[in-house]
Amino acid sequence: MKRRTFLKSLAATGIAASAAGTMPKLVEARKKVDIGEIKSVKVDVLTETSWFDNDNLKKHMVDYGGAMTNQYTIPWDWDNAGGYAALLTVTTLEGKERKFLLDSGWNNEWMDYIWEMNNIPAMLKSGEIEFMVLSHFHLDHYWGIESTLKHKPDITLYAPKTHYPEDMQLLKGAHLTAKNKEGKDVHICKNDHPHTGKLVLTNPDGDTGDGIYRLMPGVATRMFDVPILLRVRGENVLYFNVKDKGIVTVTGCCHPGVLSLFSYARKNFKGYKPYGCYGGLHITLFETWDPKFDDIIKGVKAFKIKKLGCNHCTGWIWAEKAAAAGVPVVKGTNKYKTYKKQSSVATASNAFLTNGDSVVF
Amino acid sequence: MNESIDSQKNFNYLFGLINLAVVFCIVWLLWYVFLHPNAVMKLYTPMYGFSLIVALLTVIVLMNNVAGYYPFAESAPEGMGLFARGIILTVVSILLMLVLIYGFFWGFIGKFGIAYFSPKSIIASGGIGAEMFVARENASTAIVYFCTAFLWLAIFWRVGFNRWPWQNAARGVLAWSRLFAILFFVSIAYAVLFHPHVCSLFYPAQLKAGVEPWWAEFAGTGSAFFNLGLVLCTLFWIIASDMLWEGYPWKLMEKDGEGTLLKGVVAFFVTLVLGMILLFVLLKVMNIFWDEAFMGGQYTDGPDFRYIHAGEIGGFFILAAFILKNYFNNFPNFGGIWSRAIIRTAITVIGGMLIYLFYFSPATAFFLGKVYGFAQPGDTPLVWTILFLCVIMVQCDFFEGWPLRRTVGVETGAEEIPGEIARNTA
Repeated sequence: MKRRTFLKSLAATGIAASAAGTMPKLVEARKKVDIGEIKSVKVDVLTETSWFDNDNLKKHMVDYGGAMTNQYTIPWDWDNAGGYAALLTVTTLEGKERKFLLDSGWNNEWMDYIWEMNNIPAMLKSGEIEFMVLSHFHLDHYWGIESTLKHKPDITLYAPKTHYPEDMQLLKGAHLTAKNKEGKDVHICKNDHPHTGKLVLTNPDGDTGDGIYRLMPGVATRMFDVPILLRVRGENVLYFNVKDKGIVTVTGCCHPGVLSLFSYARKNFKGYKPYGCYGGLHITLFETWDPKFDDIIKGVKAFKIKKLGCNHCTGWIWAEKAAAAGVPVVKGTNKYKTYKKQSSVATASNAFLTNGDSVVF
Repeated sequence: MNESIDSQKNFNYLFGLINLAVVFCIVWLLWYVFLHPNAVMKLYTPMYGFSLIVALLTVIVLMNNVAGYYPFAESAPEGMGLFARGIILTVVSILLMLVLIYGFFWGFIGKFGIAYFSPKSIIASGGIGAEMFVARENASTAIVYFCTAFLWLAIFWRVGFNRWPWQNAARGVLAWSRLFAILFFVSIAYAVLFHPHVCSLFYPAQLKAGVEPWWAEFAGTGSAFFNLGLVLCTLFWIIASDMLWEGYPWKLMEKDGEGTLLKGVVAFFVTLVLGMILLFVLLKVMNIFWDEAFMGGQYTDGPDFRYIHAGEIGGFFILAAFILKNYFNNFPNFGGIWSRAIIRTAITVIGGMLIYLFYFSPATAFFLGKVYGFAQPGDTPLVWTILFLCVIMVQCDFFEGWPLRRTVGVETGAEEIPGEIARNTA
């Protein structure tokens, strides 16, 4: 029995159902937005290994209050910290390449290593990288902000408006610590290079009230105001409209849910056509399972997404199971093995686009 | 869920309001100490804290609804203050809660029977994700589901069958018989409604132990939140008929003031159908605000969220019913039973929606330490709601309403369960 049929059968009980069916629709038809088009977008996976040992990270979470705790109060293991960041290269319809960063990772040493490896400092200094979009204020996406600001303190930054005082403290320059069980202060993040550039604080209304911020023709970001674990709120999501192909989403963690992003695009973007997605998809981030993760696999197939590049908080087991179920998962390479550190959960399946890989939509 | 024990005409509504405010503050204090994610013990991880709170409610219901306070006296004996009795029962309930979680589930069933009830057994079994954080959350999820099945059937049993078929038995016989009968049905309900979900919390899914969620296709999700939502919506009607409708219409099927097989069977199925209707209506209302959910959707788009959210709303209605009953003397108390029932139900629904607005307002970022917004995975208002219910039940049942209700008496209770009261006072 299909869900709709089941619900209809409930209605057939005859009581109250008719009243519910006549309720006015409060969800209004919205005017669809034209975000323009691009020729293509290339995503370079700078780093997707936000931490290297899952169990180490989870132990700190469980020892200091669980998934709802303020991330700034947990004395995380600095040596286990990595970071998440991607370089986006947009080819415009005119054939011009334009670059920007998504996120700035966590551990400064790791991020400096990654930045050097990918020539990011030079691109920042020269202005080749035009701006940075901060997906959200989670430690592994934001606490490494110094690695970017030390090369370009006046970079334009798009960040969710739903920040906390500690987030802004770090942006303005700070050394932050958290107390461990013994009462000792443990270094958790620092920034010695205050941000001096333009800070665009994003909210769900968008820059002109139509729900999105236009970054360049064919590229927009939307802030989804959702509650997120570790007391974080709100995530910026990138939308690309690739000519003749369709909508591509690029995310840091994709907390709102990948299909919800496509659902939003379907309702709000002119000429919506699903095409691809890249990023952490926030599914089996702790390498565990739940029946609703099977739902996502079925949903991705139903939405007819043509190209799915994933990593980070997607979880290897989801990526592998999705690929096995016929989802068009873009496989990675073994390049990550040449990096000085690797994730403990990486497997030979290459179901992740991991450090050093890239994908073009 | 004892009946009020003072006369209705002397009820002081202002005192009731003050009492409610004090209870709210106690809940706030308890939340701050035990559950607030950025305060003292931080047990709201979230499932671990959830399991502890739901286990406490389970024990309170066990002591009250199932055991009828056996082996304790049903109400404070002469010479013993309500306060002393309340303290003793509260301490016993907390000890039983600890025994239930750490002794029964973690130490016994999880150790010698079903591994997923014990974090240590999950870790010992090895495999992906088998470490303390996930293991404790998964074991807690299983415990929450088991306790939910128990709460549903235990509260139903009191409303439906009550003392049948042991109405002539001694208190101890009644308590044990009712407990074993309820546990029999709880085991079936848990196995069918929740066990398949828990078996799928691991990778690979434990398909030799539990089937794939059989409701996945028509519910649009494999999550047992579908069943959880239905059970909680059903529970609301059970509690509404008990408290707000004064036991009607089931009372019409009683024989000599005692429950009957017919009464229990009819109450079970009618409340289940009412629960389905409430679930359906709430899903429709959610569609109005969030559009239709779809398979694989997350946050407010997820069918799993919609189902548990319906259950959460059912929980708010239940909380409102308890507040109306215990702190506002089940207002109104005039007119015919059906007009009273309709007005009380309407007040309860409005009260539940006010609680909803409070819980999902920015104020709870301050009060409860939650992040503003809907549908954060794992974050459910059920924990706060159940904690609130626990405190209300401790005051109104264990302390017999002290200090709001200062007169000890059995008039109304005797009207509802004469046999029990007679035995107790003998």
